Parts: sequence; structure tokens; C-alpha cells
Amino acid sequence: MEVKLLSARFDIKDAHLLEVAKAHGAYETLDKLFTMTPVQVMEEVKNSGLRGRGGAGFPTGVKWSFLPKNLDKPVYLAVNSDESEPATFKDRYILVKDPHMMIEGIIICCYAIGCHDAYIYIRGEYTSQVKILQKAVDEAYAAGYLGAAVGGKDFRLDVTVHRGAGAYICGEETALLESIEGKKGQPRSKPPFPAVVGLYDCPTIINNVQSIASLPFILANGADAYRVYGTEKSPGTHLFGISGHVEKPGMYELPLGQPLLEVIDKVAGGVWKGRKLKGIIPGGSSTPVLTPEEAKTVTLDYESMAAHKTMFGSGGIVVLDETVDIVKLVENLISFYHHESCGQCTPCREGLGWMLKIVKKLLAGDGGREDIDLLVELCDNIEMKTVCVLSAACTMPVRSYLNKFRHEFEAYAAEKASAKPDLREE
Amino acid sequence: MAEMVKLFVNGQEVAVEQGKNLIDALKVVGIEIPHFCYHPALGADGNCRMCLVGIEDGRPPLVPACKTPAMEGMKVLLDAEHIKKIQHDVLELELINHPIDCPVCDQAGECTLQDYYMTYSLDDSRRGVEPVKKGKRMDLGCGVVHDQERCVLCARCVRFTRQITRTGELGIVNRSDEARVAIFPGKPLDNRYALNIVDICPVGAMTSSDFRFRQRVWFLKKDEGICHGCSKGCNIYIDHHREKYKDDMIYRFRARTNLQVNGYFICDEGRLSYHRENENRQSQTRVDGGVVGFEEGIKAFRSRLDTARKPLMLLSADCTLEQMWAVKRIANLYGAGLSGYSDASVLPGDGDDYLIQDDKAANRKGLELLGIDSSKESFMAALQDADLLVNFNNDLFFSNINDELRPLLDSKECIAVCSHARKLFEKAAIIIPTASYSEYGGTIVNGDGVLQLFRKAVTKNDDPHDILEITRLLGGAIVDAARAWPGIRQSVAVLSAVQPEQIPAEGLKLQSSEEPHVGS
Ligand SMILES: Cc1cc2nc3c(=O)[nH]c(=O)nc-3n(C[C@H](O)[C@H](O)[C@H](O)COP(=O)(O)O)c2cc1C
Ligand code: SF4
Ligand code: SF4
Ligand code: SF4
Ligand code: FES
Repeated sequence: MEVKLLSARFDIKDAHLLEVAKAHGAYETLDKLFTMTPVQVMEEVKNSGLRGRGGAGFPTGVKWSFLPKNLDKPVYLAVNSDESEPATFKDRYILVKDPHMMIEGIIICCYAIGCHDAYIYIRGEYTSQVKILQKAVDEAYAAGYLGAAVGGKDFRLDVTVHRGAGAYICGEETALLESIEGKKGQPRSKPPFPAVVGLYDCPTIINNVQSIASLPFILANGADAYRVYGTEKSPGTHLFGISGHVEKPGMYELPLGQPLLEVIDKVAGGVWKGRKLKGIIPGGSSTPVLTPEEAKTVTLDYESMAAHKTMFGSGGIVVLDETVDIVKLVENLISFYHHESCGQCTPCREGLGWMLKIVKKLLAGDGGREDIDLLVELCDNIEMKTVCVLSAACTMPVRSYLNKFRHEFEAYAAEKASAKPDLREE
Repeated sequence: MAEMVKLFVNGQEVAVEQGKNLIDALKVVGIEIPHFCYHPALGADGNCRMCLVGIEDGRPPLVPACKTPAMEGMKVLLDAEHIKKIQHDVLELELINHPIDCPVCDQAGECTLQDYYMTYSLDDSRRGVEPVKKGKRMDLGCGVVHDQERCVLCARCVRFTRQITRTGELGIVNRSDEARVAIFPGKPLDNRYALNIVDICPVGAMTSSDFRFRQRVWFLKKDEGICHGCSKGCNIYIDHHREKYKDDMIYRFRARTNLQVNGYFICDEGRLSYHRENENRQSQTRVDGGVVGFEEGIKAFRSRLDTARKPLMLLSADCTLEQMWAVKRIANLYGAGLSGYSDASVLPGDGDDYLIQDDKAANRKGLELLGIDSSKESFMAALQDADLLVNFNNDLFFSNINDELRPLLDSKECIAVCSHARKLFEKAAIIIPTASYSEYGGTIVNGDGVLQLFRKAVTKNDDPHDILEITRLLGGAIVDAARAWPGIRQSVAVLSAVQPEQIPAEGLKLQSSEEPHVGS
């Protein structure tokens, strides 16, 4: 099942060093790149059907084409390396194992969109990763792949590595831009969209590390070669991070469209310790959970996930075995999103904290059934009323647990009913 | 003139200004969209989510009205059940960590949160968990006291210090429901407009140490006025109240919007200048040191004027056009000299490039318009000559530039018509108490040449006489403000068409007669 497009050089020792990467084909697409026009590059990427790997799956070439034409302002690229969604650990492999693949992708993207200043926004906690990345950027500068004349051609490109300070919200594209600008990382209201008003009020493209890193293959081999992998609407390959209760957790590159359960069994060694499957988080903690029954028909692509009322997300698959306490899982989940809420808009700021307290109350045995109903209602009251979708990243999965595992919540509520009489005065 | 567009609100057609955000655009036609964070002076921030409205056939179907420009044919949904539910739900979330200590909160009675709760919710609280604890009674500097728990984090105050004063003392620290407004350690508010924050805060999170706990706002009578703190003439509300068995007192000034004059704000000094209206007032009539009745004082005033060889009348540059006109007429009647010398009320360098002016007089332009000489030279010359100085509330010692004048002033007999007890007036032979600007009405022209009308707001138990009234008692013909206008119109070209009662709310910008004629 596994393929090695993006991960081709991952197993090569020291492939993060320019010398090694180059010996294995890095930067070979540049000659071809500069024989093409930017429009041709953009068309090739559009034809490949590459979809954004940051979670939303928006077609990359189409996003680029939203840039206004005939600009009198600079265009910026921000590569999103914030990778902070729980259960997501794919971009870090690219950053440390093959950063030159990403830098090559940045050159391709910038050439296509007419950008001369790109930023790589890397999460603050990636302290060792950032060193490897910065070294790669420095090496690329020294070798003339970045700087005043990229690959000796008349094309300037400067790349700046910008470190975050440790906030999940800075992975949201407009909060990321605020953060680069030196402000508090808070999402902006949209519209305007960053392709029109982005970094320093200039048109800006934000792409995920993996989206960018997919470009060298597409350019070298053509859109059709990329479409050999994956499905019609979800072409290509993806780096899946499989974690949780499996025998062989890890990062695996797979073509899209593979059956979920088969991947868990064959690639990740199946549910560990011979235990039974309780549920699967398909694409990072913000995606609604799948029951074993639902998982049977799911394939790893955007369409199948949507058909099962969940999301492909970031490819971070978490396997939950029968011992998992769903209410505790939900407590953990809300804790994270509550802690990471930027606090800007009312429903998310006040609502997630309230939800967390209600779950804690249930866990303490002080909650009742009405608290479960309140939780469901709060999910509805918060979701899509906010500036950004961080709130939805919390309420969507929480709602799925409340719906699919309600009995576990009720067990906590019931405990209370039998243990303590209701002493509230009405 | 902005272009008008037709759009539909709840199916009903309205004509509004194109491109204006929906909150402002619909307000003009009497439709309220609830909001906390939007403020016309600060723009839209989009954080409170109280203004979410539906746009039928729109993508996305829910938008913040504050960020949505009015467009032709737009179908806005405000009273649909799902929109009302959002307003209700956002309020519930706004209140979930709110202390709801309205009984001891200064804002109660003029609190957006309280008002919206009454309009959009009225539901019982579902708070079954402990609220977040935050800072109380925090001294942020400049007399601003902050309650973090009452704060709805609309960021108006933060944006004010960034966009208006550009001093940036405030920020919001922390994330999630731990977010709170704060200053940098050891760096309190430090600007001359800080108390506007109290006005723009939609809730009781920002209070003024000056006003805190002094009066429940629903007792206050809120009259419109004009600040006399400097020549800007900022528009204010004069909030005053007569407590049982006590006198009518002013409790605060607040900024009143006038886009032609002061925009949305006023300076702190002006705001706090209401104290001067309450305090240190001259209430007794005195003749040669003895307290007498007002009528007796006026009688003495008249007879001294009658017998004076060469009286000189001195006007304050704070007087209204009508008062100035009346005094000018009286000066004529008694063959007195007339001066508006008031250089002492100019503090060079004190003003800024925003509202505060160097000139602390409210109507210096009025003196100019009425052709009243205000030069030091002519005042000095006339004073040397005079045997009686009649001072209409002109505090020559407002600043110390006239210190050298003291011996000369002391050597002259003086009649003081004054609203306040001041050093300058102590030695006056006759002291006639008079009203201050919150107690009379009239017109003044600010430093930018904007003519504004204001009305009497405060009525004291022992209501002092306006200068106009005093000139009448001295035999003048101007019996009220209106009676001054035929004469003013006749003698001042730029005022020749002015009907004071028809001066627009934002004032009338006078065409300056000094403006050089350009071209042929
Ligand atoms: C709360 C939040 C966190 C996000 N974090 C990340 C992230 O860590 N990395 C990322 O690539 N995209 C993240 N995204 C998605 C970005 O906003 C954006 O859609 C993406 O970077 C676009 O790149 P793509 O089109 O290549 O996927 C996040 C979105 C939200 C709402
Ligand atoms: S939804 Fe949450 S994270 Fe997003 S802007 Fe609002 S408060 Fe911030
Ligand atoms: S801010 Fe408003 S709602 Fe809150 S305590 Fe004060 S008056 Fe009551
Ligand atoms: S203190 Fe008032 S103005 Fe400032 S953020 Fe809080 S509620 Fe808004
Ligand atoms: S007024 Fe529109 S979001 Fe606050």
C-alpha cells in the first residue's frame, strides 16, 4: 500500500543536507521550471488536482488563481508549518528529513504566483526542527537556489523562517499572518481573503508544508503522473500519521482512496494488544469520530470522509481501543481547544470554557442528563458564529462523541443520580 | 451626497446609504442591530458576534452586520427565529462569566449588556458552574478604574488607545476566557483623552474614579451643552441632578458626538471641568465689602457707573455673542471704553493636534466678529485712563502673564460681575454674582469658526443672573438673547443671515471674512 513520492528521500541518511539531497535529485526541476511560463506552472498544478494538505483540502492551483491580476503590490507566500493539531505529525518529517524538497516547492510556487518574498511559519515548539530547516535555507542561499538570482536565473526569491511562539491558533492562516506581522496571533474576519488582502495588506498565498512539498514531483513528472495515485477527486499521495492504539504507530505515505480499516490493519498492524476497536479519529483531533461500523465503508479521501459526515483533515488518524473513556477523551479535547482559543470572539472565548466545566462536572459525578443536553446545545450555539473555525474544530468532534457515545456520558450522569440526591433548591 | 440603495430588512424595503455598514445604515432608518464592539469612531472589529444577521441567498448566510456594506437589493434577515436565537445565545455566552453586579455597578441604567438582556433575552441563567475570576477595581491610571470581570472584551478601549490617542497603553493579554484588558506593568494610561474609554465601554468595566458611586445614572438629567474648557467648543452632555433638599449639581460631562467639531470625544480636562461649575462659585452680592441683596448691588452698580468719569468695561472671551453684544451696547450707553483683553487665557504650547487648543476661551472669535478690541496695548492705555473698571467675568489672572498688572489694577476701582470667587475680584468695590455657562444659553464661535448654539442646562436654587439680564438691569435694551440678534445681524456681515434657533446641530461653519479673495 505504501508509496514513496514525498518520502522518497526520507530513508536516505542525511538527506536534509543539500549535498545529499542534491545527489538524489533535489532542485532538478528548476531547469524545467524556468523554461515554463508561470501560467503554465499554475495550469500544471491545477491539472494535478493537488488539494491543500493543511486540512481543508482546497485545490492548490485554484487558490493561486484567486490572486488579483495586474498587481501593483508585492505577492507573498506563507508556508504553514505550524502543525499543531493534535495527532498531526506529518509536516515535521518533511522539515527534518527533506527540507530541500519543500524549498524546491517554494521556488516553484513563487515562480508561478510571482512572489519574491516567502515566509516559512514554523511552530515555536519545533525547536530542533527549526535548526535543520534554517540550515537547509542557509545552504540553499549559499548554493544560489535562493537569493538574488535563483538557479542563476533572473528571478529573486528570499525566504524567511519565522518562528511562532507556541499557539495552535497561529496555524489558522490569517492569525499566522498577524503573527508574522508581529501582532498577537488572532484570526482576521474574512472577507477580505488573504489572496486579496493578506500579509502587510498585500495579496498572499498560504499553503501547507506538504502541499508545497508535493510540487517538485508534479512539475518533474507532470500532472498525469501525479493522478496515477489516489482517486479522481482526491489525487496523489498523503503522509498519514497513524497513532493511538495500534501495533505500529507511525508516519506512512499512502495514495489517497485506501480503505481505512485495511490501512489500520495492514499498514499500522491493527488494534494493539488484540483489543477491540471503539472508534477512529480520521484526520486530526478536530474531525468527527467514526464508529467501527461506520469505518467499514470509509476510504481515505476527501469525498468518502464527507459522505460519512466527517473530514479528511490533516491525515492524523487516531485509533481508539475499547478501553478508552470517551468522556475523558472529550475533556482532554475541549481542554486543548479552550486553551488555544485566541479569546477574540465571544462564543468561542466564553463557550469552550463553559463546555469544559460542564464535562468536568459530569466527570466529577455532579452532572445530570440536562448537562449532556446543554453540551449538545452549546455546540450548536457556538459553531459557525465565530470569527474563525477553531470553535468548530472543537464543537464538531464533541458533537460526534455526544451523538455516537451518549451512553458513556449518561453513565456519568446516572452515577450522580444514584449517588447523590439533587439538593438544589428550586 | 452618498448614493442611496434599496434593500430589504425582514422583507420590508428601505432606502439607505450605499456602502455604509449595516449597523449605521439601518440605524438611520430606525432599525437597531445589537452590537458591542462596533463603534463608529473605531470601526468594525467583528469580535462580539452580537450583530450577526442573515443575508438571504447570501454566501455565507450569516454575516456580522458591522462588516457588511449595504448593497442594492440585499435581503437582510433580522427578526427570523434563528437570528433572534443567535442574539439570545451570544448574550448568554457574554453573561456566562459576568458578575452581574448591576446593583453596585455604575453602568447600570445605561449598560448595553443590561439593555440587551432586557430586549433580547430575559431568560434565567443556566450557569451551573463557577465563573472565571479576574481582576477587580484596577487602577489603570488617568482616573480610569477597570473591572476585568465585567468586561465583554469588545476591545473598544484598546482600539481607542491605538487608533485615537496612538498611545497604545492598553492591550488584551491571555487567550480564551482568561483574556483580559491590561496595561503593561508600571505603564498606566498616560494621555489627555483617557476618560473617553469610560464613555465608549459598553458595560461597567471601565469606570471613572471621579464619578464612581456618586450617582445612579437614571436620576441624572442629561442636557446638551458645549464645553467651555477651550476654544474647540466640544459638544458635551451635562449630566446634572438636584437631590432632595439640595441644589442642582453637575455630576459629569460626557462627550456628545459632533462630527464637525469634536467627533466622538472630548479631552479629560474638559470632561472634569464640570467641577468648576459646581465649586467656588460667587453667590453673594457685595458692596464695599458688605453683603447686600442683589437689587441693592445693581443699584450701587448703576450709580457708580453714572458718576464715573471714564469707565472701562472688560469682557471675558468666554461670553456668548449675545452677552458681548449686550455689554457693547451698555458700554455705549454709559460712554465707557470696551475691551476683550484676555491673553491670560491662552496657554501657548498647551494644545495638541487633536482637540485641545492653546486658547482656553470659548468665544474669542466672537470678540473679533463684534469688533471688540482685545489688544493688550489698548487695554493698558484705556485702563491707565479709566477711573472705574467693570469686569464681566474676565479672569485676567487665569495664567500668570498679567502679574505685572496687579498694582495698576489694584489702584483702580473695580466692579466685578463674576460667576466664580477669584483672587482678582476680591478687592472689587462691588461684586455681582452671575451665571456660568451651564446656567445660561447662547451662541459662541469656536476657534475654527464654527458657530454653535447651546441652551441653559442647570437651574440653581438661587439661580444667578446671566450677564444679559444684568445689562438689562443697568438700563440696556437687550432683554433676552433673541433681542440681541437684529443688531448682531446688522453689524456683522458673516452673521447677517443667521437665525440662532436654526443653527444646525453640528454648528454652522462661518465663511471667514478674512479669507483672501482668490482669483479675479
Ligand atoms: C485553528 C486552525 C488551525 C490550523 N492549523 C494549521 C496548521 O497547523 N497547519 C496548516 O497547514 N494548516 C492549518 N490550518 C489551515 C490553514 O488555515 C490553511 O487553511 C492552510 O494552511 C492552507 O494551506 P493548504 O491550502 O495548502 O492546505 C488551520 C486552520 C485552523 C482553523
Ligand atoms: S473562534 Fe476562537 S480562535 Fe477563532 S477568532 Fe474566535 S475566539 Fe479566536
Ligand atoms: S456591566 Fe452592565 S450587566 Fe454588568 S454589572 Fe454592570 S450594569 Fe450589570
Ligand atoms: S473594558 Fe469595556 S471597552 Fe474595554 S474591552 Fe472591556 S468591555 Fe470593551
Ligand atoms: S458589532 Fe459586529 S461583531 Fe461586534
